[in-house]
Amino acid sequence: MRYICTCCGYIYDPKIGDTMNIIVPGVAFAELPEGWVCPLCYASPDNFDPLD
Amino acid sequence: MKPAVSSLYQAVELNQEIPPLLIGERCNPNGSKAFREALLADDWDACLKLALDQEARGAQLLDLCVAYAGRDELADMRQLVKLCAGSCKAPLMLDSTSPETLAAVLPLYPGRAIINSINLEDGGANLDKICTLAKKYGAAVVALTITEAGMALSCAEKVAAAKQIYALAVEKHGLRPADILFDLLTFTVGSGDESMRDAAIQTLDAIKQVKQELPGVGFTLGVSNISFGLRLAARKVLNSVFLHEAVAVGLNSAIVDAAKVLPYAAISEEDRTLCLDLLFNRCPAALMNFIEHFELAVAEDEEQDADALLEEQLRHKVLKGDKDGLEDLLSELRGRWQPLDIINSLLVPSMREVGELFGRGELLLPFVLQSAEVMKQSVVFLEPFLDKLDDDGRTSILLATVAGDVHDIGKNLVDIILSNNGYKVYNIGIKVPAETIISKARELQVDIIGLSGLLVKSALLMKESLSQFQAGGLTQPVLLGGAALTAKFVAQDCVPNYQPPVVYCADAFAGLNAIREFETGKLLSTDWQPATVTASRPGPQQPLLDRSFAPPSVPFLGRRTVTDIDAEQLFDYLNEAALFRGRWGYRRGKLAKEDYAELTAKTVLPLYQRLQKQALAEGWLQPKVTYGYFDCCSSGDLLLVNDGDRQFTFTFPRQPAAPGLCIADYLRTAGEGGDTIGFFVVSIGAELAKRTRQLYESDRYHDYLMLHGLGVELTDALAEYWHEQMRIEMGIQQQSTELLAYITQGYQGSRYGFGYPACPDLAAHQPLFELLTPEEIGVTLTESFEMVPEMTTSAIVVHHPQAKYFAV
Repeated sequence: MRYICTCCGYIYDPKIGDTMNIIVPGVAFAELPEGWVCPLCYASPDNFDPLD
Repeated sequence: MKPAVSSLYQAVELNQEIPPLLIGERCNPNGSKAFREALLADDWDACLKLALDQEARGAQLLDLCVAYAGRDELADMRQLVKLCAGSCKAPLMLDSTSPETLAAVLPLYPGRAIINSINLEDGGANLDKICTLAKKYGAAVVALTITEAGMALSCAEKVAAAKQIYALAVEKHGLRPADILFDLLTFTVGSGDESMRDAAIQTLDAIKQVKQELPGVGFTLGVSNISFGLRLAARKVLNSVFLHEAVAVGLNSAIVDAAKVLPYAAISEEDRTLCLDLLFNRCPAALMNFIEHFELAVAEDEEQDADALLEEQLRHKVLKGDKDGLEDLLSELRGRWQPLDIINSLLVPSMREVGELFGRGELLLPFVLQSAEVMKQSVVFLEPFLDKLDDDGRTSILLATVAGDVHDIGKNLVDIILSNNGYKVYNIGIKVPAETIISKARELQVDIIGLSGLLVKSALLMKESLSQFQAGGLTQPVLLGGAALTAKFVAQDCVPNYQPPVVYCADAFAGLNAIREFETGKLLSTDWQPATVTASRPGPQQPLLDRSFAPPSVPFLGRRTVTDIDAEQLFDYLNEAALFRGRWGYRRGKLAKEDYAELTAKTVLPLYQRLQKQALAEGWLQPKVTYGYFDCCSSGDLLLVNDGDRQFTFTFPRQPAAPGLCIADYLRTAGEGGDTIGFFVVSIGAELAKRTRQLYESDRYHDYLMLHGLGVELTDALAEYWHEQMRIEMGIQQQSTELLAYITQGYQGSRYGFGYPACPDLAAHQPLFELLTPEEIGVTLTESFEMVPEMTTSAIVVHHPQAKYFAV
């Protein structure tokens, strides 16, 4: 499932991963490492809403 | 002779062989929707039918109340007493506190009625008049233990009030003890309010004691108040168990919906235990256990829900943020409650519930603000009836945005939440120096100080201010809130500077919780355990920059001002996710995807469209830009910018750890041939901010948050739009792209805002203002380098393809 940052609109898509945080494709949102923040606005995961 | 009352047809003993005597409560416009509608329609037959229905359902007496805002109580009462006297077998309880009304209808009643009620709220004048009537017509009276000090809460207060009334009614007016039915009042054990956990015990003890000390008197009770605030199915059980317990200590009559009393034997052992635990405060988790157990109970039908008690209706209004008919409802409640008790016993617990729902993610911020508006409007309505708002007992809080910071939305939201939860808030504004905070805290003798600030600089200032508070001898706990704060920063940098508790508050409700902890003596400084992992530092990961990119061609060197911008197109650049979910707080939370889509379609988008239309039609937006292109070269962390003969130096911070990025790196050095840099300052003008402020000042909290959020995101949309114009001018982009690309920086280059993570220092605004002179579009700098008006933003525009957001 994709998640959207409520602060800036960035969408974390597990199919794509997150190159800015060196997250390879295939990592579910819940499986992101501790300390992961939004690559665009640095918001913590509790600021994300499920999208799908 | 056994005490009894009578109708035209029969006498009914007050002390039934199998107590209690059930008094039907539904002929009351304030308690029954059906009765209210019949009354308002002058449909006397329908009113009578409701009375007869109650008889059929087991009521042995009938309470009759017709007091309703806008109605002529005396005329209505006269009409219905005549009608009921001829048709109802059950004797009447004439429910009015007006001596004039009672004097008019007592002679019409062909039996012995009960008057409901007398009290000492006004010190006794009304009591004297009504007792005189009772004596003259031989009526019995219900006496409520309300004195000039308010409703009697504790056993001692109830007993004392009862004795006072007894002395007047019996000794002064010559009524017999058996003519008096004391209603010793009861209050809900369902609110979670610590001080009310023993409400049932106080009432039961008082019945026992009054029975002993004032032999011969009778009792009655509005039993259902015990469960106010709980679910209907749960209330029925709790009310029945409470009634059983009250009868056991001597209650001989009860005002109830006769059809809703369950026989004690029909209540399961498990249900009884849960009720008794709650009523007798037998364990700390009693309320939680009770609620959890009855969560699964079958909900009652709609009709009953709509017919809920007045108190329940007020709670619903607060929870739903519904102001329709609020003043009528409050007027009716004033017939039963002191104004201050409406606030403290009904409104504040309901707001507490709102906070809990928000905390559990079951209520979104915009709805919380609508609830707060209901609270505020109620208090404004009740204020004229209060002697004065008693500030002595209330916890008081001083709120300020710290020096150098103009942001007030966060502080104002805290003000809204705290003041509408019954606290006294002194909101002393923005840019408040530490010295002023110290002197105000002393002068106003506040209990707690709350500091707010959005900027990174403000966080540092809070840390310094605390040392000043310490040196200045302040003793109040300090609550800190703001976007740049973290629990870690507060615990490590702020707590050591000040002796009393220093507490990090992530949002307004965290502040509310902190104040409640303060009140119970449990407030502690923020503690922070170092985590095993630190937050990631997202950003471009490649440290090697391509140095070969030549500067783009620019249409001019120097600065220009643009004021003919079509406000409407800004909406094409607006980040809807950030506005709806972030600024406005319409988060999906626990909603299913479909439900969130419906919320968006039915609530959020219509609101957005309405505001958009209004903003454009009424000229709220005056987008203006000042921008420029300049020759420049980098040198280490410095960027040297040339403007004709003048040269300005910008110093940019560098990431301390790998990959060690710095904005200056994206621009070529003099040796590499130099580069070109862009800057802009954009503003949507002062009008929208002015309207935002007006909304706040007129207590339109919901609209305030909405308009403020819209303004902030429109400012960003203008920045996005102008950044695109500059890319097009520089030839690094051909045309507009899709919105998602802006959010993810799907374009060449980057814009870095001053005060943001790649360049947190606002002092860079100084050379920027020298270069662009934004004063010409009405933008000025404060002494701490913040831009005014608030809805303004600035950026440095870098063309290098590898330049993306990062944080130092």
